[in-house]
Amino acid sequence: MNEVKQHKVKDIFVQGPIDPSFVGTSIAKHATRHDIGAHEIFLGQIRADGPVVTSSEAETRQPVTAIEYTAYREMALEAMTAIREEAFIRWPEMTCLHVHHSLGIIPVGQLCFMVFASSKHRRHAREAVAYVVDRIKSELPIFGKEIFADNTHQWKHNT
Amino acid sequence: MEVLLFGMIAEKADADRIQISATSLSELRTALTARIPDLDRMSYAIAVDRAVVLADRALNGTEEIAVLPPFAGG
Repeated sequence: MNEVKQHKVKDIFVQGPIDPSFVGTSIAKHATRHDIGAHEIFLGQIRADGPVVTSSEAETRQPVTAIEYTAYREMALEAMTAIREEAFIRWPEMTCLHVHHSLGIIPVGQLCFMVFASSKHRRHAREAVAYVVDRIKSELPIFGKEIFADNTHQWKHNT
Repeated sequence: MEVLLFGMIAEKADADRIQISATSLSELRTALTARIPDLDRMSYAIAVDRAVVLADRALNGTEEIAVLPPFAGG
């Protein structure tokens, strides 16, 4: 257990959408790591349809045009550090884990979330990404305001 | 003490922080309900020093308190 690396608090938040070219650059940065045999990447994109609304105004709702993300940054980063450390213990073959989440207004079709793990073989990277994505969605204090075309809004709620 | 508000709760309160005096979490909940419209009809959690706390506990006023609506990351 002494070999477990200590991970300092990293800032996962970026202002605005995640540029697809950033994803490509992130992959390219690993070319010098010859112990890596597998990358697994999850990308979250803003979807136009809002959640099911049971009230009668649902029929008149327009598609989501953007989500405005805010966060309790300090708590989110502390929670993320704990999740990261746990993931490295559970999947010791994982060589690196990169997490980015957008803040601010992210238009529909844009990327807002990236979880990128690399490992020697595919299983550790795949399992780690699925696990980390789920934990982030349920445990990080990030809030999303879904903005509709008519400028009304509704608060997103992960289930 | 200063209480941090987020998301739809900040919107309802029309502020991202408010001053409240309370010596326990249950006292804090009562005060928040009186201050923030419709809070009793909203789903929320209270974080003390950046961790969600469910059971009642004493507060000495030096804690970092936050009121958190449902999470929506990802």
